[in-house]
Amino acid sequence: MSVPLPADVVRLERVTKTYGGEQPVTALAEVDVRFARGTMTAVMGPSGSGKSTLLHCAAGLDRPTSGRVLIGTTDLSTMSEKRLTELRRDRIGFIFQAFNLVGALTVEQNILLPARLAGRRPDPAWVAEVIDRVGLGHRLGHRPAQLSGGQQQRVAIARALVTRPEVIFCDEPTGALDTQTAAEVLGLLRSAVDQFGQTVIMVTHDPVAASYADRVMVLADGHIVRDMPQPGVQRIAEQLAMLDRRQRQPVASREG
Amino acid sequence: MLGLAARMLRHRKGTFVATFLALAAGVAVLTVCGVLVESGLRYKGEPQRYGAAFAVIARHQLTVQGPERFGERETSTVTLPERGSLPESLVRKVAAVPGVANAVPDRTIAVAAAAAPKVPVAGHGWGSAVLTPYKVVSGTAPRTQGEVAVDERLAAAGKLRPGSTTAILTGGTVHQVRVSGVVKASGVRGPQAALFFTDAQAARLSPRPGRVDAIGVIPAKGADREAVTAAVERIADGAGATAYTGDELGLAEQPEAVAAKSFTLEAGGAFGGYAALIIGFVVAATVGLSVRYRRRDFALLRAIAATPGQVRLLILGEVGMLSLLAAVVGVPIGLLAGLWIGDELVTRGFVPENFTMSGGIVAAPAVTVAVAAVALLSAWIAARRTTRIRPTEALGEAAVEPGLGGRVRVVSGLALLGCAVALTGLTGMTSGQTAMGAAVGMLYMFVLAIALLAPWINRATAVALAPVLRTVFGNSGYLAAANLRANARGMVAVLTALVLSVGFGGTVWFLQDNLERQTVVQSREGTLAQHALVGGAGLPAAVAAQARRIPGVLAATGVRRTSVIVPFMDEAMTVVAQGIDPQGADRTMDLKVRSGSLAALGAGTVAVSSSQADTSGWKIGGKAKLWLGDGTPVTLKVVAIYDRNLGFGDVTLSNATLAGHTATDLNDHVLVRSAPNADVVPALTKLADAYPASAVTTTDRFTGALAQDLAISSWLNKMLVAVLVGYAVLAAANTLIMAALARARELSLLRLVGVTRRQVKRMANAEQAALLGVALTIGVAIAAVTLSSIVNAIAGQPVPYVPALGWVVIVGGTVALALVSTIIPIGRLLRTPPVEGMGIRY
Repeated sequence: MSVPLPADVVRLERVTKTYGGEQPVTALAEVDVRFARGTMTAVMGPSGSGKSTLLHCAAGLDRPTSGRVLIGTTDLSTMSEKRLTELRRDRIGFIFQAFNLVGALTVEQNILLPARLAGRRPDPAWVAEVIDRVGLGHRLGHRPAQLSGGQQQRVAIARALVTRPEVIFCDEPTGALDTQTAAEVLGLLRSAVDQFGQTVIMVTHDPVAASYADRVMVLADGHIVRDMPQPGVQRIAEQLAMLDRRQRQPVASREG
Repeated sequence: MLGLAARMLRHRKGTFVATFLALAAGVAVLTVCGVLVESGLRYKGEPQRYGAAFAVIARHQLTVQGPERFGERETSTVTLPERGSLPESLVRKVAAVPGVANAVPDRTIAVAAAAAPKVPVAGHGWGSAVLTPYKVVSGTAPRTQGEVAVDERLAAAGKLRPGSTTAILTGGTVHQVRVSGVVKASGVRGPQAALFFTDAQAARLSPRPGRVDAIGVIPAKGADREAVTAAVERIADGAGATAYTGDELGLAEQPEAVAAKSFTLEAGGAFGGYAALIIGFVVAATVGLSVRYRRRDFALLRAIAATPGQVRLLILGEVGMLSLLAAVVGVPIGLLAGLWIGDELVTRGFVPENFTMSGGIVAAPAVTVAVAAVALLSAWIAARRTTRIRPTEALGEAAVEPGLGGRVRVVSGLALLGCAVALTGLTGMTSGQTAMGAAVGMLYMFVLAIALLAPWINRATAVALAPVLRTVFGNSGYLAAANLRANARGMVAVLTALVLSVGFGGTVWFLQDNLERQTVVQSREGTLAQHALVGGAGLPAAVAAQARRIPGVLAATGVRRTSVIVPFMDEAMTVVAQGIDPQGADRTMDLKVRSGSLAALGAGTVAVSSSQADTSGWKIGGKAKLWLGDGTPVTLKVVAIYDRNLGFGDVTLSNATLAGHTATDLNDHVLVRSAPNADVVPALTKLADAYPASAVTTTDRFTGALAQDLAISSWLNKMLVAVLVGYAVLAAANTLIMAALARARELSLLRLVGVTRRQVKRMANAEQAALLGVALTIGVAIAAVTLSSIVNAIAGQPVPYVPALGWVVIVGGTVALALVSTIIPIGRLLRTPPVEGMGIRY
């Protein structure tokens, strides 16, 4: 990476995604968006707004129907499944709501899994620092089933950080956690941005979670309807409530 | 990647146990088959009698030339049911070969020695002693007609010394002979003791005048052995015989060894084929299922870091390691089972005593590789399906059931079903071997069609039975129907395994029962005689004539059991036959003659069963071309067609036709019909006394013994079917247990939303009742159609006989399967508190 890093880590250009055959559903409609290095962005919106689809397309987990997705200067749209995986492994970190860890592996093995799959030896000092940072030093030999939900998410964060990715995508990382644990996990993500200069893109429906971000984007019907620099919990909640009223549809538990 | 695979295996033991069991049991079953085949290939008998010969010409097999296809002539070879023989003139031809010092004819004569009745003895001419060689230990070689030399074994058992006189029984008559000397063989001890006549006496006693059993070749010193071998082989070929050399010499002296060789090859090969089919299917289904249950693991790996290739490698690594582990466990079990079967085969008389299970060196690795290949292939297919799923699936927790299956699967399934139904018509219209073949083909097509169509059958069952389940089980039934519908694909293995067990197993097992029963019934109903004079060492033709002279005897028929070889579809097929004295035979046996008359039976004519007539296209007054038991071709005029083939054989010949063409040339028993009120038993007993090893029995007891013989010969079939059914049931149980244990979350959820434990249990019961009930119904239907077709074809009975115990086993076994594999595991799951069960399980 001797080339000077561009300011935008992730760029979506006129990305459209439609699902289904006979009655196609448009999940994203010509979305243009950029995510800057060293920032934390919260992507919000009611169920079916397209926020998860945006995350999946941006992370190369799903392919857009049209438009381009760039990670740094790399265009994902023409990559093979294998190259995409390699890109995810080297340059992207993931934290999901649940089922983040491989049950057969210990905490330490889970953290080192991406490096192992890539056939690389991670920098031991960095690994030690990450493990220390997430506070799991005493549980390295445990299996995921022996951990609480919050501890599991911290393992997932450590796994994402260890490869020093250009961007970490989170899909409802606190969706299954209580308020106190959620705050710990979010604080950890925030400090990754502040201390290590990480870039974090997080899908959430929780205004409190979104309040940890530098920037909050709201999606509705596949369009970006609001894009605000940290507006505060109150304002986020208002925006969401307004959208809900407009759509007159009950808020489902998850899935956006 | 392998390290990761190993860790996955250790962690997910539950999921892998099923795959491991299917693999290990498959390896064990196939190892047994492989060992049978390999032992058959390696088995060469034990050269003892012909140990000193360079080559031996003998005729133990009949090779039939088939038509020429694709530039190659097809041939089929059958072992001759009676000892084959060679013309005496061949001896001179062999002797004339340059480099041959001596061509020694050997005649083997069945002998029973009164001094040692328990020792099996074979008589020969002294001239053939050089082939072993035997040396005189004391006394001299036999020099006159009344002299014999005995080997040490017989001398010891019968306390015989040079000069002692003893009685021997051969050719059905007793001879008083003087022991001229005791002889000793240098090599290993053979299965039979030897007794030597003079060559002239041996020729006189031989049941086949002008013919010899074998010709031993002793080459001149310094002769070109390869040239001698080539010349001898040419001569043998010309006479339809085989030249045995080297370690094949054991086969030359023991026709049973040749038969045992082809028997084990056929049994192991045929059964191995069926087993491979079933095992392949089960392994594929189990591996596929275990991969499917862990889709989420794989999706997560894909999302965070693993390329599709790495996930495939991981799955292949897991299955590969399991295959190796399965081989480590399965191969020793298979080898042990092979040894046991070898012992049983010897005990039950399928193979000679010196038959040993010597396979394994080739069979075990071959089976391991084959099973591993099937497992890896199915793992690869399952892995491909898994890696095609988008990694985003890891984000959701709903495991989407994949579709029912591709179009190719439906179309081929329907096509097979159509063929099977068409064959049902064919079996109904024909009879005999054609109908039998069609019925077996139909059985396979039905089972395969069901296997292919299983997802749709499961789905249709769920839809069709939904109202019934709701009515019977209430809300639990409603849930059960929904589950059955959703799991239509997952339960494919269960449906197929059960249909296979019941359809295939039921057909083969009950077919044996039907054959036994029909044979006994036909034999009992068709035997008009009240008494049978059974000769353990054979009875000469004169006995029947003597019995006829006893006052009160209305008719006496000498019967010999043999086999003949008939051409069938360009191949040779051995069929059971009997030889009878036609005179008065209609009063001792009723073959249920359909057309023609047994009265016309004599030299040059034959009576055949209706099913054999159908198979071979023989008609009354037409010609029947066949080979007698010793391989002699004959063309006979068909004079009668009868129905009772199972009790009396498919071909009935006159003893006049068979004379000189069976191993002993003696009758096996004489059927005696006496006038009512006439007590002929004392006179018959007196007659029997004149022939050692013979006895008078009632014909009822006689048919009882027949049933026992049949039970022995059906033992192998039944055991093999039991193994296959056991394997299929294991597969079904595996799938069910795996499915049941994977339901922890679902069941906890149901209980949290207010379904009681009782209702959950009822739901499981309803699912089992529907799933297994349908499988059972289809299996029974297939077995019923096939079985009635076959039984109708070979016994003319449209309704097959199924013993009550058979029903109990089928229904009871299915209920036990449901209990063990689903209801108990679900009961255990229900003991976990639902909140705990809902927890995120890894």
